Amino acid sequence: MDYQNKLHVIYGDGTLGLQGPDFAYLFSYERGGLESLKIKGKEWLYREPKPTFWRATTDNDRGNGFNVKAAQWLAADYALPCQAISLKVDERKFKQVPVAPATNEFTNHEEAEKVKITFTYQTLTVPATTVKVTYKVKADGTLKVTAKYHGQAGLPELPVFGMRLIMPTMAAGYEYEGLSGETYPDRMAGGRPGTYEIQGLPVTKYLVPQENGMHMATKWVKITRQTTLNNADHDDQPFSLTFKAANGDFAFSALPYTSEELENATHQEELPPARRTVLVIAGAVRGVGGIDSWGADVEPAYHIDGTVDHKVSFVIDPGLQGNVQTH
Amino acid sequence: MEAELKWLDDPTVFRVNQIPAHSDHQAFASEAEAAGAASSLVQSLDGKWQFIFAATPNERPANFWVPAFEGPFDEITVPSEIELSDYAQIHYINTWYPWEGQIYRRPAGTGDNPQALDDFSTAADNSVGIYRRTFDLAAGLQGKDVRIRFEGAERALYVWLNGHFVGYAEDSFTPSEFDLTPYLQPTGNVLVVEVFKHSSASWLEDQDMFRFSGLFRSVSLLAQPAIHVEDLHILPTVNDDFTSGQLALKLKLTAKEAGYLTVDVQDASQTSLLHQRLTSAATVELAPVTFEQVHLWDTDDPYLYHLVIKVYSAAGALLEVVPYDFGFRRIEINANHVIMLNNHRLIINGVNRHEWNAKTGRTITLADMHQDIATFKENNINAVRTCHYPDRLEWYQLCDQNGIYMMAENNLETHGTWQKSGAVEPSYNVPGSVDLWLPAVLDRARTNFETFKNHPAILFWSLGNESYAGEDIAAMDQYYHDHDSSRLTHYEGVIRNPAYRDRISDVESWMYLPPAGVEEYLQTADKPFLECEYMHSMGNSVGGMGSYIRLMQKYPQYAGGFIWDFIDQALLVTDPVTGQEVMRYGGDFDDRHADYEFSGDGIMFADRTPKPAMQEVKYYYGLPK
Repeated sequence: MDYQNKLHVIYGDGTLGLQGPDFAYLFSYERGGLESLKIKGKEWLYREPKPTFWRATTDNDRGNGFNVKAAQWLAADYALPCQAISLKVDERKFKQVPVAPATNEFTNHEEAEKVKITFTYQTLTVPATTVKVTYKVKADGTLKVTAKYHGQAGLPELPVFGMRLIMPTMAAGYEYEGLSGETYPDRMAGGRPGTYEIQGLPVTKYLVPQENGMHMATKWVKITRQTTLNNADHDDQPFSLTFKAANGDFAFSALPYTSEELENATHQEELPPARRTVLVIAGAVRGVGGIDSWGADVEPAYHIDGTVDHKVSFVIDPGLQGNVQTH
Repeated sequence: MEAELKWLDDPTVFRVNQIPAHSDHQAFASEAEAAGAASSLVQSLDGKWQFIFAATPNERPANFWVPAFEGPFDEITVPSEIELSDYAQIHYINTWYPWEGQIYRRPAGTGDNPQALDDFSTAADNSVGIYRRTFDLAAGLQGKDVRIRFEGAERALYVWLNGHFVGYAEDSFTPSEFDLTPYLQPTGNVLVVEVFKHSSASWLEDQDMFRFSGLFRSVSLLAQPAIHVEDLHILPTVNDDFTSGQLALKLKLTAKEAGYLTVDVQDASQTSLLHQRLTSAATVELAPVTFEQVHLWDTDDPYLYHLVIKVYSAAGALLEVVPYDFGFRRIEINANHVIMLNNHRLIINGVNRHEWNAKTGRTITLADMHQDIATFKENNINAVRTCHYPDRLEWYQLCDQNGIYMMAENNLETHGTWQKSGAVEPSYNVPGSVDLWLPAVLDRARTNFETFKNHPAILFWSLGNESYAGEDIAAMDQYYHDHDSSRLTHYEGVIRNPAYRDRISDVESWMYLPPAGVEEYLQTADKPFLECEYMHSMGNSVGGMGSYIRLMQKYPQYAGGFIWDFIDQALLVTDPVTGQEVMRYGGDFDDRHADYEFSGDGIMFADRTPKPAMQEVKYYYGLPK
């Protein structure tokens, strides 16, 4: 069967599979997200991507009490229940996602031009708010991910807002088009535009592990790995996946650790062995500040207001895994 | 004279038999030696010394200074920090005194301690290092007067040679010199040095740093020929046309015989500009000589002239060669309260720099210094504050040569006597206006001036750091104005006691004042403004720097500032769990009370690799202002 021009849609009893010649995506209703992103036989996800709100406390955050004021976002980052899922396949809107036995109406030959699936997450904050993460998949496998945060009166400022994707193995490196070095909204004037290649997933060796490695104003980032967890995969050739900004640019960091892992260590050597790739693609990044480290706030322009909406959007194009061309 | 332990307790005793502070010039026995920068008049005593550690003064062995004393001894490297050889606990603490919560103390002469003595000579927290070594005089030193120079010793030292008491010194970060001549033998000299971690000087040295002790800088023997330049004061001035200038010299000689000296000045291309012969005397002056065209020194063009003084016997034998590179530059404050260097607005793209090496603490190498200069140049850093003590002698030369403006700070910080948990509470502040402490702090000002007065790089004398303000610091300011018209004075702490504002500091200096506060001051500035500390680079920081730079571009009265700071203070140790070499900070050695990771505020990591913030510093420091 040739699905070159159509998505093959597999209505599983608790999942939705979308496949094409070089890709296979699996959305899990039970797990509340995109469980598998397989491209040319290589799995790119360790766990479902989720919105992220927490950055590992910086020394300045600790000094001015931001980690205390924003503490709710640590809980929201750590556990994020999925409240609702909506699905649209071509023009058909599902009131409820189709699980067994409703899936008995389908066959193994279902096709679609486009599929849109939205997961609504509820934050463990007081008051709670929601984040909707929408995956729009086109016939060629192009996957557009959009996360929308709904501002809510009474919520503290956010440490960060973005999507966190955890990959099963540690990347060999990454390449991106953006600014040199590590940049933050209030520390990016010195970043020189260009395309940069980074070996491995370096963690900046601050005495106390903390937020690090952010790259503002990025057009795209290509992650290159060489290993998988698949015991039957005997191929050791590098393989890559590119994340493109859907409109304008995004910020990202690619580290072997989650913000919680960084948060938990008081010295670099307390970090666990590096074994995954944690890619954060952020739509809103808080400045790092620098006036002092014992009380001065980040300048107001570089805060992330919790009471207004925020968004991040990016595209994964399975056809772009080789050479990156965005111009 | 016998050594007295009670000197440790007496703030008015800080130098016994010490040779008065003098210029940092080097002396050579010949022109060839001067050209090769290797003097036969100098004998290094660095290396392995015998060592005894005593946890308290009471635990020291009896009569350890007697040549026949047989130990037992350990061995230690000079220079090094005693704590980093694991004799004493490593401890990092910021503003509190290191005895916080361990020993109740008040400085001598303050409210709760009206008696004139401290308690350090019997204190349980005053550990002692006893250093001993033997030496034979090198050929170049024999038959001459010989002194010993300790370039740095924390915090109080006693010296004996061949069983005779030689002298006592405080002020940990400036050279201490003693005449050894009366007790010297050609061979088999037994030198004993006793270094106490604490003395009354501990009240004056409460800098935010790891608290170490010991002979942490080099020790050497220096020989003085029969006629010797003891002090050299180079007085280059720039005329109002900023084209011509004048050079005058004032020399102090020690002379055992009659003789003469020649003074030569060459420009950087070795063209001779001046040659004069002067008769040797206790003081020799070169009257001002006019230079029609002077090539001015600044950060972009650190042009140096070569001065060479040659000292001859009456019979014409060359006794001593003293080379010194100097520069012409002029700093002043104009009617609009703008600091002008050579008639151009001064721009300070500065950093604070502690001397630091992750393996050896404040014992640093020449290579470390060269690397730091290279980092400065690469990142548009044009100024350094020697926080919060004078640095190694070589650093000043490097700044001259590389055009790094210096704020040369005295070894003075009494933070814990006036600021408690952030609040201003000067109830037992020293030096304050306490007479008892005035001689010690004035001596620190004098030593800093006398040692480094010939460096064109030094634009500011900084009276000290975070010590509040009173009559004593006002007297330090006055000292500099009385002795030096070629530099400005700087002191931030007077903002805590504005009653002294007219008498202390030529510039308005703040720390960490947010941009809005900076602008508020600049709108009605009556002194030039700078931030002696700003952009606190702790961890992932240095955000918002642009707000300061834009104000610099708007207000010429804003001379700039010094980022806090250049390099993380952290120690590289082997982690017993992983076997990896790892960085450790305050509190990691069971040290309490500690201030933990606050020791790491550099734009460089402790291993001298740049933090990501460096590119931002380079960008903003590279902008025109």
